[in-house]
Amino acid sequence: MSAAPDPHPTPASRPDRAVLSLKGVKKHFPIREGAFQRVTGWVRAVDGVSFDIRPGETVGLVGESGCGKSTLGRCVSGLTDVTAGGVYFDLPAEASRLLDNIASGTATDAEKARVAQIEAAHRIDRLQGAGYKRFRRNCQMVFQDSFASLNPRHLVVDIVGRSLRVYKEASGTELTERVVELLEQVGMGRQHLYRYPHQFSGGQRQRISIARALATNPDVIILDEPTSALDVSVQAQILNLLSDLQKQHNLAYLFITHDLSVVRHMADRLVVMYLGKVSEAGVTSDVFDAPHHPYTRALMEAKPDIEGAASEQAQGLDGVVPDPARPPRGCRFHTRCHMATPSCGWEVDDVIRRLEDIPGLFDALSGVERKSDFAASLTFGDAAAAERLVSILDSDGIPAAMRSAMGRLERRDRTVSVAFDEVPDVDLRITEPGRVASCVLSPIEVFQGVNE
Amino acid sequence: MVDLPSPTQPGTIDAIAPESARRVRLRRFKELAAKVLSNPATVLGFVIIFAMLFMAIFAPWLVAPNVPDPYQMPRDWAATRMPPGTPGHPLGTTNEGGDVFYGVVWGTRMSLQLSLIVVFSTVVIGSIIGSLAAYFGGKVDEFLMRVVDVFLSIPELIFALAIAAILGPSFGNIMFALIVVFWVKYARIMRARVIQIKGSEYIDAARIIGDSNINIYLRDILPNSFTPVMVQATLDMGNVVLIAATLSFIGLGQAGIAEWGVLVSEGQAGIASGRWWASTFPGLMIFLWALAFNLVGDGLRDALDPRTEGR
Ligand SMILES: Nc1ncnc2c1ncn2[C@@H]1O[C@H](COP(=O)(O)OP(=O)(O)OP(=O)(O)O)[C@@H](O)[C@H]1O
Ligand code: SF4
Ligand SMILES: [Mg+2]
Repeated sequence: MSAAPDPHPTPASRPDRAVLSLKGVKKHFPIREGAFQRVTGWVRAVDGVSFDIRPGETVGLVGESGCGKSTLGRCVSGLTDVTAGGVYFDLPAEASRLLDNIASGTATDAEKARVAQIEAAHRIDRLQGAGYKRFRRNCQMVFQDSFASLNPRHLVVDIVGRSLRVYKEASGTELTERVVELLEQVGMGRQHLYRYPHQFSGGQRQRISIARALATNPDVIILDEPTSALDVSVQAQILNLLSDLQKQHNLAYLFITHDLSVVRHMADRLVVMYLGKVSEAGVTSDVFDAPHHPYTRALMEAKPDIEGAASEQAQGLDGVVPDPARPPRGCRFHTRCHMATPSCGWEVDDVIRRLEDIPGLFDALSGVERKSDFAASLTFGDAAAAERLVSILDSDGIPAAMRSAMGRLERRDRTVSVAFDEVPDVDLRITEPGRVASCVLSPIEVFQGVNE
Repeated sequence: MVDLPSPTQPGTIDAIAPESARRVRLRRFKELAAKVLSNPATVLGFVIIFAMLFMAIFAPWLVAPNVPDPYQMPRDWAATRMPPGTPGHPLGTTNEGGDVFYGVVWGTRMSLQLSLIVVFSTVVIGSIIGSLAAYFGGKVDEFLMRVVDVFLSIPELIFALAIAAILGPSFGNIMFALIVVFWVKYARIMRARVIQIKGSEYIDAARIIGDSNINIYLRDILPNSFTPVMVQATLDMGNVVLIAATLSFIGLGQAGIAEWGVLVSEGQAGIASGRWWASTFPGLMIFLWALAFNLVGDGLRDALDPRTEGR
């Protein structure tokens, strides 16, 4: 890049700021059904996520498929509007604290008066004119599918040089030379200027995408599974390239992936997501050394070791991810957690989920009368079926924690009444300085693997 | 960099070492043209079209234009019902002494004007409406697409016939009727294309850069919608003339003009008495015109299949 002074003062030079700050970000998608496309529910793809990305750091965002990583990435980059909460760009620490005070209801009147001003200056969906332009230039994105993210009819010079045209920074031969510089930064060169995307390998296309992102001289790049579609050997090259570029340009990355081994080397800090919520966050090496959430632990154990075989005592992850339109109460992970306790949010839906696994019994179910998420009466076609459910719920077939959470289980003729202890939803809490996790267990208990 | 292809890797064009965007685009165009022209039927279609274009453009030099209105058949009352081969009337004359060759040549010029005007306006109208429906979505989209569905549920010919019949027999009315009938297909094609492309990642990528909606429409969406619209437009160049001729034939045309459908209609009475030429030559032109554009349209569709194009 040229040595000219940067015309856009970047937050990178002021580390007391967050390049991007997420505060209670939610994104719910409507579920539409029927001829009139009525909204019958909401997919809670992202359901209240907060974290900061600081200048020059890499935040790894991990979680299973469908947990809302891409949706979050799109919210952060401004491609998608948020349903609630806010994404803030270049937010000073002091303003960030003020917003947190507002959220926790401890703000003074003077602070409340400043909110509108802060939001207008930093909240990405409130930014106008030059402020929006500055955000747009400073926050770039690289997508997983390198083919789909490059217009098949555009030449490399047009793809990489597009932003230079948009911001009227260069044209003609100057633009071509700037594009050559950018291509060289990603390990390509002049000979690739006048080619179409389909003439390149996946790794090269991803390099082109990276060059395009670099063209606006950004502070932060959101990388949504940038190497997941690539061969392992090419993956390593792209990761190295990203690391080098980060050092050269003091870039911050939001690195989205489902591959823990990738973020282990790339990320300074890790955010683990499950069903739209953060289950754990902290410094990457700390999280790997001792996960504070059973989900993180299960993710790490589920990952086959280098020989390709899962380690012996690994409990890993089994069972299906619940429907994000109706996430489990208490702790969202309780349906699959090997360490679940009676206070993890056992509910009526857990009974229904068990029933669904027993087709004969599920078919006999004729009605469910819910009093709340935690109490309901289930009516069956005949008393025998009802009795069968009772005996199942009272057996070893279901987790001991679920059984002890059951405050009531009784049958009256064809109807079974169940009631669980009502518990509040499990929230994120600070487990250690710089670490948060949303689990009722202490880090020690998670480490020891109690209950099983 | 292991993943950079060596210059000899198949599928790349390293060996040619292109030095400018213009040359690369030209080569891409040549490759596409070669692909299109590899089909003999398409070539035949192009040959016929070029012959027709030649006739339409050079009509005044082939046969002197009738004054004052060249699109009105000349009348030579001294030479009615002459057979083909008559000096001065190579394809014979009609009952009213109209030169059939004049009708064939100037009819070509009329057909070209008609089809260009109808296809151009319907492509523009349809593309705008289809794009708006896709862009706004929701209620706007629903309303526009209901209208399109209603239009598409009526066969083209019947619909055009109804409108032309209401407006009365004239060439302008036929043109108007055709425009009303033909725009819907483009609206539908454009809408589907815009919706598809709007959801693609390279549009997200352009938005991330900060490009404007209008630029994204012009640089990403329109160029990628071009192929299906062009194929349909080529087919419609033929269909328009065919339907216009049909309407003229059944009496909705403007009597006495040098239009193929009118000529076939006016000449048919003589066929029973052995005067086949007044209807046959214009009829042959209609057939050739429609055939040529259909051959080329089908050829383009096969060669420019969006599933293989650009790969
Ligand atoms: N546009 C949309 N409309 C409706 N639902 C959506 C939409 N986009 C995503 N979802 C839903 O939101 C949830 C989260 O999806 P998302 O793509 O963010 O997950 P992800 O973590 O990126 O998964 P993956 O690893 O498969 O990419 C999923 O249940 C998905 O079906
Ligand atoms: S709160 Fe902790 S122990 Fe309980 S289900 Fe969730 S992760 Fe498991
Ligand atoms: Mg994803």
